[in-house]
Amino acid sequence: MNLIREIWQSIVRRDPLSTDKGKSELVFLNVWLHIHPAKVKKESLRFKFTFYLGFITFFLFLILVTTGIALMFYYRPYPPQAYQDMKDLQFVVFMGPFLRAMHRWSAHAMVVCVFLHMCRVFYTGSYKKPRQFNWVVGVLLLLLTLGLSFTGYLLPWDQLAYWAITVGTNIGSYAPIIGGQVREILLGGHTVGEAALIRFYVLHVAILPSLMILLTIVHFWRIRKDGGLSRPLWKLKPNAPEALVTIGAPAQSAPLRTVQAAPDKTYGLMEVVTGKPIFETITPDEEEDAVFSYPYAFFREAIALMVTVTGIMAISLFFHAPLEELANPAKTPNPAKAPWYFLGLQELVSHSALLGGVVAPALMVLALLAIPYFDRNPSRRPSDRKWALWLFTIFVVANLVLIVIGTFFRGPGWALVPPWVHVVARAE
Amino acid sequence: MGRRLPQIFFALSTLALVLIVVAVWQATTPSWKNYQHTFFQLEAQEEPNALTKAAVLATPPQIHQILLPGLQRVDRCTTCHLGVDDPTMKNAPEPFRYHAGLGPHVPSRFGCTICHGGQGLATDVKDAHGNAPFWPDPLLATDYIRASCGRCHKEGDVPGVPELTEGRRLFETEGCHGCHKLNGVGGSIGPDLTEEGANHRSPEWLENHFLAPNVVSAGSAMPNFHFTRDQARALTYYMLSLTSADMGSYYASVQLIPSPGYGRQLFVEKDCIVCHAIGGAGAKVGPDLLGVTKLHSSEWLDEQLINPQLVYPGSSMPEYDLETNARKALVAFLSTATQQDAQDILARKGRVLTPEDAAIAAGKQDFARFGCAGCHGTELQGGVPNPNAQGGQVPSLLHVSDDYTKDEVLQIIRDGKVPPLDNAAGPTPPLYMPSWKHLMSDEDVHQIVEFLWSMQQKSTESW
Repeated sequence: MNLIREIWQSIVRRDPLSTDKGKSELVFLNVWLHIHPAKVKKESLRFKFTFYLGFITFFLFLILVTTGIALMFYYRPYPPQAYQDMKDLQFVVFMGPFLRAMHRWSAHAMVVCVFLHMCRVFYTGSYKKPRQFNWVVGVLLLLLTLGLSFTGYLLPWDQLAYWAITVGTNIGSYAPIIGGQVREILLGGHTVGEAALIRFYVLHVAILPSLMILLTIVHFWRIRKDGGLSRPLWKLKPNAPEALVTIGAPAQSAPLRTVQAAPDKTYGLMEVVTGKPIFETITPDEEEDAVFSYPYAFFREAIALMVTVTGIMAISLFFHAPLEELANPAKTPNPAKAPWYFLGLQELVSHSALLGGVVAPALMVLALLAIPYFDRNPSRRPSDRKWALWLFTIFVVANLVLIVIGTFFRGPGWALVPPWVHVVARAE
Repeated sequence: MGRRLPQIFFALSTLALVLIVVAVWQATTPSWKNYQHTFFQLEAQEEPNALTKAAVLATPPQIHQILLPGLQRVDRCTTCHLGVDDPTMKNAPEPFRYHAGLGPHVPSRFGCTICHGGQGLATDVKDAHGNAPFWPDPLLATDYIRASCGRCHKEGDVPGVPELTEGRRLFETEGCHGCHKLNGVGGSIGPDLTEEGANHRSPEWLENHFLAPNVVSAGSAMPNFHFTRDQARALTYYMLSLTSADMGSYYASVQLIPSPGYGRQLFVEKDCIVCHAIGGAGAKVGPDLLGVTKLHSSEWLDEQLINPQLVYPGSSMPEYDLETNARKALVAFLSTATQQDAQDILARKGRVLTPEDAAIAAGKQDFARFGCAGCHGTELQGGVPNPNAQGGQVPSLLHVSDDYTKDEVLQIIRDGKVPPLDNAAGPTPPLYMPSWKHLMSDEDVHQIVEFLWSMQQKSTESW
């Protein structure tokens, strides 16, 4: 028994979790957990403030990496074997349909959750100083998510994949001067073919996920450094400072900083650097508001993870990932549609190729990136930022309406057809 | 705060576990395992010995597949159709029944879907039989299965499938080429038919379309050729067999079946009659070939055709470098050849044509080959309806020389012509004269005009 205890101690190396010291050590002695602080602010854990959308997005990414690596064992990225491999997954690979469905539905869910997460961050004003740059990183992660979904869309090499990518890359080619070349570099030719498949595959399984992981690390790191998980700062009352401790170096004449002394905290000076703190601060006694990450934050995160995983598994049990006929460059479906999240763009393109395909998306991305620097209003209180909220709501609704029109209201020849009217397109 | 968190987490974890169990259960109980189980029970019934009975029943279920790289397909049909190549399963219920009458087309070498259609990769009934969304190739109805023979046997007669031969003949003689392209040759008024068999139209649709094009496909420019039901079926067979899909070298080598007809064609082509006689008719340089197949074994004859010197040193017979199936065809022809055959061959050989006659004969062939007959009629009579064109139909060519010079007709064939309208405000007539200059050589065009003029003279005389 002693040996087992010793081995266990050599692994965890912390005091029992019943002690405060043990709870802290669980976090900061563990390489995987120490991205968390030992203690988190109570307000940050409120479900109704964040809806845990960031966590859910991250967990979806984990599901995608896991199922994606499993799928790589069964996939050859050249036509038409790629399509045959989809059929093999469907008919002979053990749990193949389940695996593919989980990957597919997680991918769609991740696009949705990234977008919802962005909306949440905007509506709570969490992109404001000092978190401006992390918003920019977030927008880049949104673009990477779309890129990953788009490159993955081609891999099954069926009609759905082939024509969605053909339409999607055509939208990109409307950009003046560089558009055509960008499309050609991406596809390795003028049309979607073998070269395009291998390029999309490499982007999908190597380049984009690597960038995604790198930026996710930055994103998480910045959350810690910018003051932890977001919380409704405007609801917290700054208290009058009481006992103050002066931090200063005895050898120097002037004190460097004066902070409030918390009653149960021991202060020790490690090293002194001058300058203002970069993180969010409200009140010196907010320590009272904090709880240990274990168990309060960890169990909530674990529950978010389980909800995500069980949700995706349940959907995948009942709905298989779609697979149409083998890609046929000679047989254009009517209408040929881009992946759903680009259908808003396709809808705009159908009205004006240059405005809808180039100017609008470029402005949209630039505007998103510029939001934290453009919005000079320091307050996060919703009543102080009515204009911003209205503008963003219009942006979100416009996007949704365009996507809904493109998805459900466009029939053969991109004619306006309500979804309840069934139109049979003639083959020739 | 958060007292119930561990309980919720535990409940959700249990739910996840249940879902995983359900997914595994779903994956381990595919329908093909049931079929295999039933088949093993069926097999075990026949076993007299209790030990072997138990062994049969204990056979582990597994997916059977026939890999056919030459046909670019993988057929897993035999996962359930376990008795296809087992003659003892002759009276077994489907899906286990033995497939009789396959001849050399054993499933292990040909799979199933190349003839039957369906989805070879699938392992459940609905998907495998192709009755699933996004699989364009459902099982071919039994009545039309034999059309699939033409996918490999692209030329010559196919024994047991007279429909295919008749369909090919009709296609050539009725002038279908005039409007339809096939393997790069033909007009462009109608759709290209090179891949018609791969388009997976239903055979019933095709057949009805041949009987009444306008009824099935409204507004179709295709004239009603008043085919009989048998002719429509023959053409349907031919259409179903049309695909340019690569059949691989092994399967391509059997494109021609060594039929006596093909042997006869070779006999004429290679001018065997110059040296050999059959039953006394023909030359006496080589031996008379009547009954030669009774005299020698087919192996011996084959060897003789490959290398005559080896069999008879000093033989004056040349080496002809014939394919395996060509040699077999020759032997097949010789086994049936009679003196009458030799006389027919000799009779056709003798005739020497004058250059003018040759041009007219070539023109007549071109007229058929390029499909002019499709609209203008095999007898140049015209008469195919063409709404809103002057006269309401495609013109007869029997009186062309009254209205045009030879040069003008040459021009019309080369550049094409839109028919003059009956009613200027009406719709464009569906049929028009296409431009042929990219498809026909100058020689072809001249020959056709010569042929037309030869027909003119005849018709003026008869008038």
